[in-house]
Amino acid sequence: MNRSTSAFYLRILLCLLFLFLFVALFRLQVVKGSYYRRIAENNFVRIRRVTATRGEIYDVKYRPIVINIPSHDLYLISGKVKNIDALSVFLKMHFGIEKEELHDLIFQQRFKTYEEIMLVDNISYETMLALSEKLNYFPELVFRSGTTREYLYPNHFTGYVGRINEDEFRRYRQEDYSLNGYIGKGGLEKYYEILLRGKDGKQIIQVDARGQNLGFFRSDAEVAPINGLSLVLSIDNDLQTFVHESFPAGSRGAIVVSNIKDGGILAYASNPSYDPNVFMQRISPDLWAELNRRERPLLDRASQGAYPPGSVFKPVTAAEGLQAGIINRSTLLASCTGGLKIGNRFFKCWSSGGHGRTNVVDALRVSCDVFFYDLISRISLDDAWRHAVSCGVVNRTGIDLPGERAGLYPNKEWFKKRLGRAGSLQGYKANLSIGQGEVLTTPLQMNAFYAAIARGGYWIQPHFMVRTLGRGRVSREQVQPIDKHSFGWSQSTVKAIQDGLWAVTNAPGGTGRAFNVPGVTTYGKTGSAENSMGKTTHAWFCGYIVTDKPEIVITVFLENAGGGGAVAAPIASRIANYYVGNIERFKAPAPIPEQFRELEGQETDEPEDVFPIPSPHEEPAAVVPTEETG
Amino acid sequence: MFNRKKFDWVLASLLIILIMMGCIAIYSASTTIIGKHHSTQNHWWKQIIFAVISLSAVLLLLKLPMPIFDILIVPLFIINILALIGVLFVTDVNGAHRWFSFFGLHYQPSESAKLLAVLLVARVITRENITELQQVAYGFVLMFVPIVLILMEPDFGTSLVFVFSLLAMLIAADVPLYYILLIISPVLSVVSSLHWIAVVIWILVFVLLLIRMGLSWVAITISGVINVFLALIMPVFWNGLKDYQQERILTFLDPMRDPLGTGYQIIQAKIAIGSGGFTGKGWLMGTQKNMNFLPEHHTDFIFSVIGEEFGFLGSMLVLTVFVLFFLRIAHAIPEIKVRERKVATAGILAYLMIQTFINIGMNVGIVPVTGVPLLFISYGGSSLLINSLAVGVVLKYLNERGFIK
Repeated sequence: MNRSTSAFYLRILLCLLFLFLFVALFRLQVVKGSYYRRIAENNFVRIRRVTATRGEIYDVKYRPIVINIPSHDLYLISGKVKNIDALSVFLKMHFGIEKEELHDLIFQQRFKTYEEIMLVDNISYETMLALSEKLNYFPELVFRSGTTREYLYPNHFTGYVGRINEDEFRRYRQEDYSLNGYIGKGGLEKYYEILLRGKDGKQIIQVDARGQNLGFFRSDAEVAPINGLSLVLSIDNDLQTFVHESFPAGSRGAIVVSNIKDGGILAYASNPSYDPNVFMQRISPDLWAELNRRERPLLDRASQGAYPPGSVFKPVTAAEGLQAGIINRSTLLASCTGGLKIGNRFFKCWSSGGHGRTNVVDALRVSCDVFFYDLISRISLDDAWRHAVSCGVVNRTGIDLPGERAGLYPNKEWFKKRLGRAGSLQGYKANLSIGQGEVLTTPLQMNAFYAAIARGGYWIQPHFMVRTLGRGRVSREQVQPIDKHSFGWSQSTVKAIQDGLWAVTNAPGGTGRAFNVPGVTTYGKTGSAENSMGKTTHAWFCGYIVTDKPEIVITVFLENAGGGGAVAAPIASRIANYYVGNIERFKAPAPIPEQFRELEGQETDEPEDVFPIPSPHEEPAAVVPTEETG
Repeated sequence: MFNRKKFDWVLASLLIILIMMGCIAIYSASTTIIGKHHSTQNHWWKQIIFAVISLSAVLLLLKLPMPIFDILIVPLFIINILALIGVLFVTDVNGAHRWFSFFGLHYQPSESAKLLAVLLVARVITRENITELQQVAYGFVLMFVPIVLILMEPDFGTSLVFVFSLLAMLIAADVPLYYILLIISPVLSVVSSLHWIAVVIWILVFVLLLIRMGLSWVAITISGVINVFLALIMPVFWNGLKDYQQERILTFLDPMRDPLGTGYQIIQAKIAIGSGGFTGKGWLMGTQKNMNFLPEHHTDFIFSVIGEEFGFLGSMLVLTVFVLFFLRIAHAIPEIKVRERKVATAGILAYLMIQTFINIGMNVGIVPVTGVPLLFISYGGSSLLINSLAVGVVLKYLNERGFIK
């Protein structure tokens, strides 16, 4: 064959291909050039994002907690900016946008997105009216209406949304966020971002110089937005409001009330609190300083703060002794004479008068420290640690909130790292047994633990979200399984602990008698935890009430407020009385309101009981105090 | 080694002209002008640095002794295949796994795979004592691996470039034309199955061509039956697919079907080029790029900036330089006497040519495939380096001409 055959064929191919290009370019630029020039000069073809409506948040009775409200936003169409200096003066004057900020937006953002740029969101209606006239001088500025969030109750669980920042935009590149969009920054808004957000729609539109849609390109080029799912929480707004107002003025602390039946949170409050709505506007430096003051209102003390639990921790230690067979219900341990000598150190009981020899029920009733000092001396540290972990007071509960803190219960390894040795830890152990020393728990962990006691040793992960509402109904279990497991406690262990807790609030000498709720059986435990934050103890109270079956569990925690029995128990008592006083209302099943039902299918029946409730419940046997002391 | 007399100054000059045009276009593409304010992203001087590196690499390649160059190809090819596998496990960018990124630099292994595959295939199919069938088979097996890996990224455009360069090399390696016809016949059968008249015409032409090429009746009958069968079974197979599967394949072949994604970019590119008119709006004066129409128009859509700012005349100038450049390489093929190098040059020419066509064709809206940068002009270090090295290989072969194996 001819040596240059291939060169010949390739030349032919080259001519053909470039002839195609030549013809196409000629057609585009010479024949239809003026046509395209007209499009280019007078019009913009652009993609407009059709923002999906973010899901709202409702309480268990379908009353709103977080809703969408209309807002007015100021957009910049950067391609049209004519006089950037005048624009920057205007924006500085009315919205405090600095010149550099504007330049960054205009010159940097266009390399990331071809959308319009949202300059200011949530402009008040009055401002918008006042500025509308002036906007005629700035064709590149336009007001558009959108939606923003309104938080109806100040709280720590809903969190808040905010404009997406550079970092988040890069991180979630694949999720198709708009640089003008909002993203959950904390709380449920962040945790359930995927459900709440939905998916933005898009349309190609051709707009004229005034931004009006000319419908030039294929009108079917449109992807409809998929609205986000609304959330139904286990929260009850009435109870939440009552709980929120139960904090003594100026106090710092947290209150958690949850439903024993299914582990759903009924009320969840941390004090001091803040109003999430402030994050919907530009935050002034003063406000920011206010939010970051020493009391730290932004901190969610219920799940993001871990504190020494003090005596509310004692049932953990007691259960270990009972389960390991070291004691039984009637075993009497070392006599309390106001303290116990361990090694060469004397560990004091809170009551200097002493409690004498007690069994486990009485030790809980009077909160005798010595009983627990003696008990833990018979348990190895690692066993105690394993047991504490199994009670769910060490690891995160996995509640559906971001940023939850874990508790702390040291083991041998921890001490080895900390002290360089793990020899005689008797002294440390003694402190651990009464919830002091290194032990830290969150109020939420304690709440879940006491709920588990009420269920007979069956732990259910605390959670807010019950189901979604709106486009589809998805139960919490379908989104993410709820962790449920039994502690594996024997009947007698459960009985002894429950009797102890009953005695605390009912029997003479019980430390928690201020938890007084007529008409129901009460259980509880007080705690006054010494701490490094101040001289006054942290006041704790964990308790639950039982009608014909277990109802609610209440955890009250107040930082440096004094004794648990004196300060925390009365608050818990008020909450429990409020609940019992309105129990019909709280327990009445709420039908799904009409406006939601049309979006959905058929309602299923009430969910069945999710844990084995010991039935019928018996009154605890009368407690016979072994020795009455001081 | 480097021989001043044999060095092809024309080809080298055309290469440098193209790169310079690229820098000018990139400067404009990354500049925003509003009133008297303007801001330029630093892409253009990065591209100049890339150009200096690339041209130095070409010089080094020319200085490299031929035996060492020959030895390097196989290990480099293997490393490249591993890189193609590795890149599939890298986080995707806009849904495609094409790039390795380190220290802000992006390396696209499919770029170097093009050159290395061409060099390797050229060597294998020009071995002595090898039947025509073996030539075809080896060529296909070698190309198959990178093509499949690149299809998985997914990058249909680049895979297409591979196929074209393979065909060009087979022709250059004197494989009879009927082989080529037989190879591409299944593809044409599948395409023709869109309409029954097309099937009839295509099968008739196919059989007639085979008869003219003097194939045996048995071979003609078998290949004819296979192709008719393919054309008939195709609609059945297609209708058996689920809707979303069909949609996925169609979007893969034709991104315009996704009007909110790539389709939007192509519409905008057409408006930009068209609005340039005959003489263009002038350098830096383009308006479409200022209107946020494309986030990344300094890469795949750089031609739209040229079309808008320099108009039909400017576009023609670029096309002309490209044509001269390709003709110069085509001109070199008969000059090179060593068969392996001649075949490799044909392969290199084919892939450069097809890639240019796909990119410009995409910008003017006649080719649906995307994801292929414009040679020497689009912003991007690895693409510029590899394509320059491809030209460097041709320059090197020309320097060694007269040496007959």
